Amino acid sequence: MSDKSNQNISELMDGELSSDCSRFLLKRMQSDDALKGSWNHYHMLRSCLQKEHSAPLLHDLGAAVVSQLNNSKVANMSHEKSPKRFLKAFSGMAIAASVALVAVFSFNNLNQFESPSNNMVFAKTSKQLINPPNASVVRVEQPANYSRYPSLTPQVQQYINDSNTSLTIPVYYNTDYVNSVIIQRQLNSTQIPADE
Amino acid sequence: MKLTEEEKMSEKTLDAELVTQAQQGKMSAFELLVNRYQQRVANVISKFVKDRHEIQDVAQEVFIKVFRALPNFRGDSSFYTWIYRIAVNTSKNHLVSRSRRIQNTQVEFEDAESFNTNEDQRNLDTPDAVYARGELEQTMSKAISMLPEDLKAAIVLREVDGLSYDEIAVKMDCPIGTVRSRIFRARDAIDQALRPLLQDESKRKQNVR
Repeated sequence: MSDKSNQNISELMDGELSSDCSRFLLKRMQSDDALKGSWNHYHMLRSCLQKEHSAPLLHDLGAAVVSQLNNSKVANMSHEKSPKRFLKAFSGMAIAASVALVAVFSFNNLNQFESPSNNMVFAKTSKQLINPPNASVVRVEQPANYSRYPSLTPQVQQYINDSNTSLTIPVYYNTDYVNSVIIQRQLNSTQIPADE
Repeated sequence: MKLTEEEKMSEKTLDAELVTQAQQGKMSAFELLVNRYQQRVANVISKFVKDRHEIQDVAQEVFIKVFRALPNFRGDSSFYTWIYRIAVNTSKNHLVSRSRRIQNTQVEFEDAESFNTNEDQRNLDTPDAVYARGELEQTMSKAISMLPEDLKAAIVLREVDGLSYDEIAVKMDCPIGTVRSRIFRARDAIDQALRPLLQDESKRKQNVR
């Protein structure tokens, strides 16, 4: 660091240096700690000479401020890039989608409850839901409602129809009943006609 | 060589240049700005906040707000006038947040700038601060008293009386180049005397951290 540079700093802070030199010096100062130190000290001298220090004399507050700003920038950047944040957003969206899906299916099921059904016993009160009525099985009928899904292919519609007519798994069931039904069906299928 | 006013970079233009660079994200330019105005801002804050450690914290907060508000600074007023307002508002907010009573509800610009009108507040400093300031002032007074008469006259005319180099040259009846040299040599001599103190202060701060 030369005396000439320091003299230029002295002139710069007094507004007595040429514009070109000033710009050049400003660039140099930003990358030269010694020149930066001179800048700081000369301004401090000014404060002291002008009796400008009713507050305690501050020394190089700029470094502390810039350090804090850089730290907050880094913190912000790392916060933005954090995978936790991404996961949090993703899980939030997944939960919202799940809730919407459940709501749609619940609505459909509610409509299906209204349609009458053969050989079915339905729970009509909350008490019956907990303690099913005098039936071995209480099941929720889920008939296919094709008009709701006009875009379904015939194959899919056929599948739904078949599955609807087959034995359905009851919502409330007892294992004895299921076992007896299964055994009965097996017996029926293997039963030999009496005339034979 | 004598420069015309158009050729010089005035102090206002210097601020504008640093502000522009800081707005472009050059932190080192902003650092130079902070160190240029730190003491004046601290003086404003001291009219509201008495604790010296709090003054430093609030000053830091002020400059962080200044940096974040830089994109909004259009240069209609001087940079110092702008940060003065931020400093006053930040100080008041600091007091409100601490539920403290604002003693001076209306501090005028001139009063905040004037040291002598607030003699009573000087006594509120801690002994530590008074001692530190005293040591710095003593060292500086000693360094000034030891300056050759021509250097001493030049620096006092510049810093205390606020004269331009041209005016000092006329007053001292010497070329402007001589004024430049004298002012710099005076600053350099005082700086050399103060450096050990400032370095001790820096080391002490680093140890505290």
